[in-house]
Amino acid sequence: TPRHATPGIPSRSLPARKPGNVLEEARARLHVSSVPDSLPCREQEFQDIYSFVESKIVGGNGGCMYISGVPGTGKTATVHEVIRCLQHASEQDELPSFRFIEINGMKMTDPHQAYVQILQKLTNQKATADHAAALLEKRFSNPAPQKETTVLLVDELDLLWTKKQNVMYNLFDWPTRRYARLVVLAIANTMDLPERIMINRVASRLGLTRMSFQPYSFKQLQQIITSRLNQVKAFEEDAVQLVSRKVAALSGDARRCLDICRRATEICEHSSSRQPGSGLVGMAHVMEALDEMFSSSYISAIRCASTQEQLFLRAVIAEFRRLGLEEATFQQVFVQHRALCRMEGLQPISVSEGLAVCQRLGTSRILLLEPSRLDLLLRVRLNVSQDDVLYALKED
Amino acid sequence: MPDQLEHLPRLTHLLPCREAQIKTLLLLLGEPEHYSYPSIFIYGHRASGKSHVTLTLLKELKMPHVVVNCVECVSLGLLFEHVLLSLFGSSHTSLPRGPSLSDFVRLYRQLCSEDPAKQTRYIVLDHAELLRDMSANLLPGFLRLQELVEDNVTVIFLSEIVWDKFRPNTGCFEPLLLHFPDYSKVELQQILAQDSCPSYSPELYSSYISILLGVFYSVCRDLRELRHLAALNFPKFCEPLEKGEAKESDAHKLWRNIEPHLKKAMQTVYLREVSSVQWEEQQQKEEKEVGELRGLSAYTHVELPYYSKFLLIAAYLASYNPARTDRRFFLKNHGRIKKTNFLKKHEKTSNHLLGPKPFPLDRLLAIFYSVVDSRVAPTASIFSQISSLVTLQLLTQVGHDDQLDSPKYKCAVSLGFVRAIARTVSFDIVRYLYDFL
Repeated sequence: TPRHATPGIPSRSLPARKPGNVLEEARARLHVSSVPDSLPCREQEFQDIYSFVESKIVGGNGGCMYISGVPGTGKTATVHEVIRCLQHASEQDELPSFRFIEINGMKMTDPHQAYVQILQKLTNQKATADHAAALLEKRFSNPAPQKETTVLLVDELDLLWTKKQNVMYNLFDWPTRRYARLVVLAIANTMDLPERIMINRVASRLGLTRMSFQPYSFKQLQQIITSRLNQVKAFEEDAVQLVSRKVAALSGDARRCLDICRRATEICEHSSSRQPGSGLVGMAHVMEALDEMFSSSYISAIRCASTQEQLFLRAVIAEFRRLGLEEATFQQVFVQHRALCRMEGLQPISVSEGLAVCQRLGTSRILLLEPSRLDLLLRVRLNVSQDDVLYALKED
Repeated sequence: MPDQLEHLPRLTHLLPCREAQIKTLLLLLGEPEHYSYPSIFIYGHRASGKSHVTLTLLKELKMPHVVVNCVECVSLGLLFEHVLLSLFGSSHTSLPRGPSLSDFVRLYRQLCSEDPAKQTRYIVLDHAELLRDMSANLLPGFLRLQELVEDNVTVIFLSEIVWDKFRPNTGCFEPLLLHFPDYSKVELQQILAQDSCPSYSPELYSSYISILLGVFYSVCRDLRELRHLAALNFPKFCEPLEKGEAKESDAHKLWRNIEPHLKKAMQTVYLREVSSVQWEEQQQKEEKEVGELRGLSAYTHVELPYYSKFLLIAAYLASYNPARTDRRFFLKNHGRIKKTNFLKKHEKTSNHLLGPKPFPLDRLLAIFYSVVDSRVAPTASIFSQISSLVTLQLLTQVGHDDQLDSPKYKCAVSLGFVRAIARTVSFDIVRYLYDFL
C-alpha cells in the first residue's frame, strides 16, 4: 500500500519582515508567542517554585509540586522561567547539573504514551508503553552512582487520567523512591483536581506542596501590557486600562488581554488608513475590539436571518408561551407559524419548507433539534434565551 | 431545441408516461462534457419508475455510471470498492481495511488523475435511505462529492422517503429534488396494455386490463404487483375463448367469467396466502373450486400438550380480563354482580381493542388452577411448559429485569386461536371473558 506522509507546511524562503511602524512593533511585542524575559506580577510564585526545585536539586532528593490556576495566568511561562534560571545557575556551577524533561497531556493520543515520551527524552530509547513503564520503574528504583536530578514538567495533568490511574500513580510514586532523584511539577487548571479525580493513594503521593495561580487583577494586567510595550508608544493610557478592567472582570486571562490589544491595533491601523489620526490606539478602537470579542453572535445571526426564519422563531416563542414549557414539537410550532404567516399577510409555507427553515436554524445552533427523521414529531428547543430572541427581533 | 433533447422521442417510447421527468433529467444532466449538478435526489412511491428511468437514461446515452444498491452494501468498504471498480475499471484498488470516506476520496482522486473525466460520471445510489444509518459523514460526503474529488461527478440518490427525513442536523449541501408522481389509472392501463399476448388481439388484452384495474385499483397501485396479477390471471380470462364458449367481442360474458375469479385472487394470491405456482396449478385443474386450497394463515392450528392448552387459556384470560373481576369469574361462591357495577369510566372501551396487559406469574397460576378441573401438582413440568410457551412466542415475557422472582408475561395469541384451543379441551372461554358479558 502506498504510504502517504503527513502533509507539512512549506518552509519560509524569505526572512520575516521587520516591523515597519509603531503599531506593527507593538503587535509583535503583544503577540502571545513572544514570551518576555521578565514575568511581571509573578515574582512570588517564581520565588516559591525556584526555591522548591533548587532545594530538591541541592539536596539530591525527589518531590512533587502541584500547580493550578485558570488558563492564561502564566503557569507554564513561570515554570519555564524557573527552569531557565536554574539551568543558567548550573552552568555557572552554582548548582549541581540536572536534566529537564517536559511532557504535555494534550499532545498524547493515549495517557500511557507518557511513559514512552519520558523514556525517549531520558535515554533516547524507543519502546512500547508497557516496556517503557518497566524500564522507567527499574531506572527510578535501582541505585546508580552519580545520577543527576531529573526535573519533569507534566502539563495538562488532567488528561493523564485513566480508569485505574496507574499513569498518575507512577508519576507521583517515582519521586518518593529513595534513589529516584526526580522532581515532578504537575500543572492543571483546577485547584481541587487531586481531591476530585484522584484516588487516595495517588493524591497522598502528590503531597501537599500545592501552588495556585490567582487570576490577574486589572492592575497586574495593565502592568503586563505596559511592560511588554516598554518603550513603544502605541496605546493611550485609558485604552489599556479599559482592556485590563474588562478582562479582569471576566476571566483575568492574560492571553485574552493581549489578543484584544492586538486586535485593537489592527482596528486602529485600518481606521487611520482611512482618516489619518493620531496613530495611537484610543478608546474607540478598544471598545470595538472588545465588542467583537465578547458579544454573542447569536443575536446578529437572528437579525440577519430570513423573514420566514424570524417568523419561525416568533412562532417558537409563541408556542412556548402557550404551553408554558421550554419545548414543543415541530407540529405545534408549525401551526403557530401558519397563523403568524396569515397575520403578516404572507403566503403560508408548506410543511417541507417549514422543516427546511427549522433545520436551517438548527444547523446554526439557534435551535436545538432532534434527528430529522422524526419530521413532524421532532422536538424544538431554543439554544438562546427567549429575551435575546425577542431583543433581536424587535429591532426592525 | 437543445442537443440533449434529441433523444427525448426515443426515450419516451422506451419509458411511457414519464415524459416530463425524462425531460427534466435530460436537461439536468446536460451535455456529457458539461458539469452537472453535484447531487440529485429522486423520490417517489414504490414502482413509480425511479430506478428504471434513471438507469435506462444512463444506459441509452452511454454515460459512464455505476449503480449501487445500498441494501447490498453492509459495510462502507463494499460500497466504496464497488464504486471505484465500476468507474475506473479493473485497476487494482488499494482501499485499506475498514476504509473511511477520506480513504475513498483520496483513492478516487488518485485514480481520477490517471484517468481524467471526459464526460460526467454518475453514481446512482438506490435505496438511499440506508445511507443515513451507515456513518454520520457519509451522506454529507456524497452530497458534495464533486467538490471533494474535484472531478466531473454527479451523485443520484433514489429513495421512497422524502428529503426532509434525510437532512443531517449539522447541515449539508442541498441536492436538487425531483419527484416521480404515481401513475394514474389511465397511465397504468397504458403501460400494462403494452405487454399483450401475441395469440390474441391487443384490444382483448386491453379490455382485460381494464377489468383487472376495475377490481384491483382501489387496493393496489403498484405497477409490479398489478403486472404480476395480470400475467397470472390471463389464462383464466382466455378460457371461454379457447373452449369456444365466447367470442372476443362478448365483453360482458368474459367479464362475468373473470370477475369472481379476480375477487378471489385478491383474498388469496394477492396476500400471498397461496403462492403463484399453486394458483396456476389450481387454474388448470378445472374440477377443484378456487380458494378451496387452504392458505398459509389457515395453518394456525398448533398441537399443544394438555396442560399447556390450559396455561395458554389462563394466560389469555389474565391478559384480557381486569384483575378486579377475577374473584367473580374464578371463585366458587361469588355474589351475583352485574357488569354495570364493575364498570369504571376508563374501562368502557373493550380490552380487546387495547391489546393484552401484562400479568404476574402468580395470577396466571391462580387462574390456571381454577380453570383446570382436576388437581394439578405445581411440578417442574408445569413451569417448564410456561417457559416453552414463551419460546414458542405464544407468551412474551415483559420487563426482562427479573427472570426468577415474579416474572411478568403477556399473552400474544389472537382470540380465534385461543378459542380453537379451548374447543379442543371443551372449555367455553367466551363465558369467562369480561368483554363479552
